[in-house]
Amino acid sequence: MKNNSRPLYMVPYYLWIVLFVIAPIVLIGYYSFLDLDGKFTLDNYQNYFSSVYLRLTLSSFWYAFLITFFSILIAYPTAYWLTKTKHKQLWLLLIIIPSWINLLLKTYAYIGIFGLYGPANKFLSMIGIGEQQILFTDFSFIFVSVYIFIPFMILPIFNSLDKLNPALIDASRDLGASSWMTFRKVVFPLAINGVKSGVQAVFIPALSLFVITRLIAGNKVITLGTAIEQQFLVTQNWGMGSTIAVFLILFMFIIMMATGQKDKGGAEHGKVK
Amino acid sequence: MSDTPIIRFENVTQQYEGAGNVLSNISFELERGKFYTLLGPSGCGKTTILRLIAGFITPTTGDIYIEGKKVNHLPANERQVNTVFQDYALFPHLNVFENVAFGLRIKKLKKAEIDRRVKEALEFVNLKGYENREIQEMSGGQRQRVAIARAIVNDPEVILLDEPLSALDLKLRTEMQYELRELQQRLGKTFIFVTHDQEEALAMSDEIFVMNAGEIQQSGTPIDIYDEPINRFVADFIGESNIVSGEMVADYRVRFANKEFDCVDAGLNPNEHVEIVIRPEDLEITTVADGKMAVTVDTQLFRGVHYEISTLDEAGNEWLVHSTKKAEVGSLIGLAFDPEAIHVMRLNESEDAFDARLEAYGEMANEK
Amino acid sequence: MGKLSKLGKVYLAAVFFILYAPIFYLIFYSFNSGGTMSSFDGFTLEHYAAVFNDTRLIIILMNTVIVALLSSLIATAIGVLGAIGIVFLRNRKMRNAMLSLNNILIVSPDVIIGASFLILFTMIGVKLGFASVLISHIAFSIPIVVIMVLPKLQEMSSNLIDAAADLGASKRDILTRVIIPYIKPGIFAGFFLALTYSLDDFAVTFFVTGNGFSTLSVEIYSMARAGITLTINALSALIFVVTLGLVVGYYFFNQRARTVGTGGQ
Repeated sequence: MKNNSRPLYMVPYYLWIVLFVIAPIVLIGYYSFLDLDGKFTLDNYQNYFSSVYLRLTLSSFWYAFLITFFSILIAYPTAYWLTKTKHKQLWLLLIIIPSWINLLLKTYAYIGIFGLYGPANKFLSMIGIGEQQILFTDFSFIFVSVYIFIPFMILPIFNSLDKLNPALIDASRDLGASSWMTFRKVVFPLAINGVKSGVQAVFIPALSLFVITRLIAGNKVITLGTAIEQQFLVTQNWGMGSTIAVFLILFMFIIMMATGQKDKGGAEHGKVK
Repeated sequence: MSDTPIIRFENVTQQYEGAGNVLSNISFELERGKFYTLLGPSGCGKTTILRLIAGFITPTTGDIYIEGKKVNHLPANERQVNTVFQDYALFPHLNVFENVAFGLRIKKLKKAEIDRRVKEALEFVNLKGYENREIQEMSGGQRQRVAIARAIVNDPEVILLDEPLSALDLKLRTEMQYELRELQQRLGKTFIFVTHDQEEALAMSDEIFVMNAGEIQQSGTPIDIYDEPINRFVADFIGESNIVSGEMVADYRVRFANKEFDCVDAGLNPNEHVEIVIRPEDLEITTVADGKMAVTVDTQLFRGVHYEISTLDEAGNEWLVHSTKKAEVGSLIGLAFDPEAIHVMRLNESEDAFDARLEAYGEMANEK
Repeated sequence: MGKLSKLGKVYLAAVFFILYAPIFYLIFYSFNSGGTMSSFDGFTLEHYAAVFNDTRLIIILMNTVIVALLSSLIATAIGVLGAIGIVFLRNRKMRNAMLSLNNILIVSPDVIIGASFLILFTMIGVKLGFASVLISHIAFSIPIVVIMVLPKLQEMSSNLIDAAADLGASKRDILTRVIIPYIKPGIFAGFFLALTYSLDDFAVTFFVTGNGFSTLSVEIYSMARAGITLTINALSALIFVVTLGLVVGYYFFNQRARTVGTGGQ
């Protein structure tokens, strides 16, 4: 396997690394220093630190935080109770299946559900609140995002809870801890890696997705991803778009560092677009 | 042709990056058709020797010859040597037949011949009728046989076995010891067997190489090594021993445990400091009056075939006794033994000097 | 561990309801003879007929499938060889560096991949269209294949390779007779995952596709931006059935492979 034959069969793979991993990052960096006419400039960076883009970054982080927070809130109990079902692998598969359905279709469904005459509003008028404008609000954006992301939060948390040695819980009970104490002192700290993986799988896409904002939130919510898409495909200002992308990459690395772990969690099966 | 040793190591040293010498300056010759065992604790270099012969690694310095041809850089797939691996290394994606046929298919033999030889090999290891089984369906002992069949089907000159019995339970292991020994005799091939289990080595081998820390400590027939260990390490590693220090008084006279005894060793310097080995089964319990040595019984364990009795003499040496007779803990008893039971070891003696000495007083004893 | 409490059952039921309700809502209204997703007027299959009669949509569907099959096949070939190369790198630092590089595209947000590929294709002069989409899909599928194949390679005892060499196998024999058959489940998993990623991808394709070429996701996006069309509902139902078939099929394939393929240690 070694020495003489390696260069040949590895050529396509190395070529891929150079062309599609290293070159794109370098190009993004390079373009972030170009203005609309292709001349070198630092304006993009100056622009980014102006109030408009800073506010955009902050609000994008705030939304991503809320989405992640609610995802954990819903996913943790789900994962916990899933580990106690009889055919847990089957139930888990049922949780995962919706994540394989194209994101666009699920988002599209909510255009109907949250529409003016949709079932959500019918329900609201039935209980006497009356019809509301749900679509194109912060609420609808966060709700749909959480809906899309919970399987990616449930899966890693489930995996780490499921890996937990049940004898540890018995031991904790045996030593006199109540079930709440056992959860707080034993289960939660041991399964924290699952939460970290889940945060990784949710927070970064929540910063960068532009489909949900475009379809559900109208122009009410702009995330970093939406801004990049806007700059590249609408305004055609690739320089500014690249600058925002540079910062998104930076944030991505920071988040990965913060949620990094030595013992690898089980977030590999999730797929997030 | 048959005079050339099948395998010869000449001053072979093996180093791995960062680590020290795994093998230091090893030289030996192996004869065709014998059952050899490399015996030693883990990390002593025995598996490295096997991998060098198989061709998975090349020696750092020194030369390796197979049938008189230097093979230092001959890759594994071009050597007339096959290995039975510790974890068997059977291909999980192939069934029993295909595993055994692997080497023959590589050689692109005719289908009929492959068929015939695989069937023969499987019959040889008593696995007739198992051709279409998946590896996963086979028990540990059966996998072991498949691995052996896969090696012998290629008709190699040498078969290397890397602790192949270590994964089996005790009963199966003993069974396989008989089978392997018998197999080697039927095939007439050279077997090189690696193990850390001294009983295995003693039971099966024509010749044993005892290794420690990258060096060969002693080589010889199982009986030689058991009866005449060269040093404390070998005496300790092979079987159970009582090792105490003492000194030679004169030829055939040795002093230990504050007493003088007759022995059969000679040719050492007067008053030379030596180590004395007496095997527990050579010590016999008698009365204090009849014994050569008086000891106090310290503890006693029933081991099934015998009692294992730990005793202390007045000098504070511990003497382990294997006896079918029971003793009373705390009582004073006598120990009797023949002069032949005393084995005298010189400190830091080389294997050559040791062999020469043994031969010399063998002759002296004959003259008497 | 205790048993599932009543509260737990209710909670799980609610989660499952929320997860599946929108999907069935979509499918339900695909049979609506009225044109909206709010009131069900009567049963019809006309939206399905619309899907199959729309030649443009059928061509887009063909494009999507062709890109998915081609890209995942090519990515699997490159990725498998790459994974084998990485595993046999002797230098540990080098191996870890390669793995990190490999994973960059997996963790990168799609907008970044899309935007950077767009710059790349414009710079080296690849015309936006079929070629750029195909190349992009190959590019983002390769690391997925590598990730799926690596564990299989790592779990393979190096003794197996020694054993093959010992039995006379050349390097080529070792690759084709031992390594590839051994990691076959990983290769299939990688291919399957690459296939679904390609079929599912929207964002990257959206960036690098030109005017003349479209895939199903991009088409659904532009339809959805225009508002509600029950043709999308009919498409959703079809896609849902196909996805379900693929996932369940793969699940059982995997179960079988697991019972047959392991236990070698």
